[in-house]
Amino acid sequence: MLDRIAALGKAVLDSIAGAGKALFMLTRALVGKPQLRKSWPLLMQQMYSVGVLSLLIIIVSGLFIGMVLGLQGYTILVDFGAEQSLGPMVALSLLRELGPVVTALLFAGRAGSALTAEIGLMKATEQLSSLEMMAVDPLRRVISPRFWAGFYSMPLLAMIFSAVGIYGGYLVGVQWLGVDDGAFWSVMQANVEWGQDIMNGLIKSLVFAFVVTWIALHKGYHCVPTSVGISRATTSTVVTASLAVLGLDFVLTALMFG
Amino acid sequence: MTSAKADDLVVIENLDFAHGYGAHQVYKGLNLRVPRGKITAVMGPSGIGKTTLLRLIGGQLKPQAGRIEFAGHNIPELSRSALYEQRKRMSMLFQSGALFTDMSVYDNIAFPLREHSNLPEEIIETIVLMKLEAVGLRGARHLMPSELSGGMARRAALARAIALDPELIMYDEPFAGQDPISMGVIVRLIKSLNNSLGLTSIVVTHDVTEVMTIADYVNIIADKKVVAQGSPAELEASDDPLVNQFLAGEADGPVPFHYAAPSLAEDILGDRNAR
Amino acid sequence: MESRNTQLAVGLFVIIGVLAVLFLGLRAANTSVGGNGETYKLYAKFDNIGGLKERSPVKVGGVVVGRVSKISLDGDYYEPLVEMTISSEYNEFSDTSSVSILTSGLLGEQYIGLSPGFIDDTVEMLEDGDYIHDTKSALVLEDLIGQFLFSQGND
Repeated sequence: MLDRIAALGKAVLDSIAGAGKALFMLTRALVGKPQLRKSWPLLMQQMYSVGVLSLLIIIVSGLFIGMVLGLQGYTILVDFGAEQSLGPMVALSLLRELGPVVTALLFAGRAGSALTAEIGLMKATEQLSSLEMMAVDPLRRVISPRFWAGFYSMPLLAMIFSAVGIYGGYLVGVQWLGVDDGAFWSVMQANVEWGQDIMNGLIKSLVFAFVVTWIALHKGYHCVPTSVGISRATTSTVVTASLAVLGLDFVLTALMFG
Repeated sequence: MTSAKADDLVVIENLDFAHGYGAHQVYKGLNLRVPRGKITAVMGPSGIGKTTLLRLIGGQLKPQAGRIEFAGHNIPELSRSALYEQRKRMSMLFQSGALFTDMSVYDNIAFPLREHSNLPEEIIETIVLMKLEAVGLRGARHLMPSELSGGMARRAALARAIALDPELIMYDEPFAGQDPISMGVIVRLIKSLNNSLGLTSIVVTHDVTEVMTIADYVNIIADKKVVAQGSPAELEASDDPLVNQFLAGEADGPVPFHYAAPSLAEDILGDRNAR
Repeated sequence: MESRNTQLAVGLFVIIGVLAVLFLGLRAANTSVGGNGETYKLYAKFDNIGGLKERSPVKVGGVVVGRVSKISLDGDYYEPLVEMTISSEYNEFSDTSSVSILTSGLLGEQYIGLSPGFIDDTVEMLEDGDYIHDTKSALVLEDLIGQFLFSQGND
């Protein structure tokens, strides 16, 4: 019994220590005078591997999710004779929820795990130590550009996801199922608000970008530098980041639309 | 205690260090001197924490007690920025080489120059080619680290380590896992670099024969401190049983063959009784 | 150069992202009335606001001219008070205008219908903070059914 309590205490202490280390890592990576000349190419490089390489999966899944929404929404709405509301249904569910959330989940799986594995491997092969011994701060050199790349990329990806998804809903609803073209867009425009829906979706995806990228970098930077440790850290990134996104999504939704 | 001679680049006094909040004591009262311009070897059985010693000198780990002086600065007490300033004067060759896998050999060696100097690209190219020439890899400059053999990767890493012309270079197990030819190449490189560039070198290793040929001073670490030191000739003449065991590579002796354990009979019989 | 291709790809990525935002903003959302632009406020008291909510539209002949910005209870008798934010583009409503709470379709949302009143020399124009006095409350289905049954009984 006492052992159980001790184990619980240790788990709590470990998680507090982990959060502290993560916070310390992030502040030290981001605080300080930026060296634009050196950090710009690094940021470009990371925007490429984090953002551009995630583009395909985001576009494909956005299209399919929009098409499924169009199909499902139509079969439900047509029973009430309300198929004109397909436009706002597709647009609102994408902009408010599915765009930011699914993008964050895909991002955690595609880019987050890659970030963790890359940094974990750099740690295991002593590249991070080697940077330190060359008087180059690995937090500034390795962590910081990856963080900003994730932070800038994800909102863009989420917006692309929503836009492509709405187009997918349009393809199914209007082109295939025969909802009126004008009604689809005009009812959508009457119900979708720039501030309420698009901006809130954007804010959500900024928060998710911060959290997912942070978790991925923390798990990689503080992993046990062995092959087992890296594989655990990668799994843990995807699991922790996904749970954090879903939990935060509830909180944010309650704050924004509750 | 501060009897540091002016010609010692690194002086370690009464160093205590333990991993993980005292769970595993690595050093207790360790003293070590590294004379300027010489090759100092640190030898000892595996797992004695030799790499830890280099990380302590580099300031990556902080000791619980004791002084680590590098060129007159006490490393553990330096602020972060002062420590980074001092690190520009030292460099370390990691066991794995630790080349950046996303850059070519050329960019790897140019990396510290681009980070710490504002030299124009033509001058950087000249320096990089000179360093590559010194380790015999000028022709391999466009290869990626994954295309290099283990020995070549270590030589490329050595070229990177000397790119900024450091005063101190620390070799972490430079001979481990090398075939005899590349081992010979690295032995010769360490010696010639030390002489031609006026470097001070610390070589951490357990390869006795190789290091005895190039080292000016040898320190043997066991039991959390330096147990023997002197020139290779002095140590070979020593009649200390531990030194002899280590140099001759005997399996059992003052450093026991067995990891600390209860006696075999007790272990087996105790186990059986428990069932 | 590899780095040039990288920069090109990142640039395209950013452009696609901005285009997506533009598409969402211009094609999917109505940017005309709401957050930006000059507005003024009008007030109206109702007996019953039914299912009217904050952010419900205010329409003139089906055209959205503003939105309900606040709903509260006012005065000693706790009458529902509705604050409407109207776009300054439409600032020529006369004092005799009337508002009623209407429903779009059988199951649709409720909105405020604003009928502009007549204009002559004797009436003043509504300005920021004015009250519209001529109001018609929401139709409550239960009341309608009750009235219907009552009138049936009279026959």
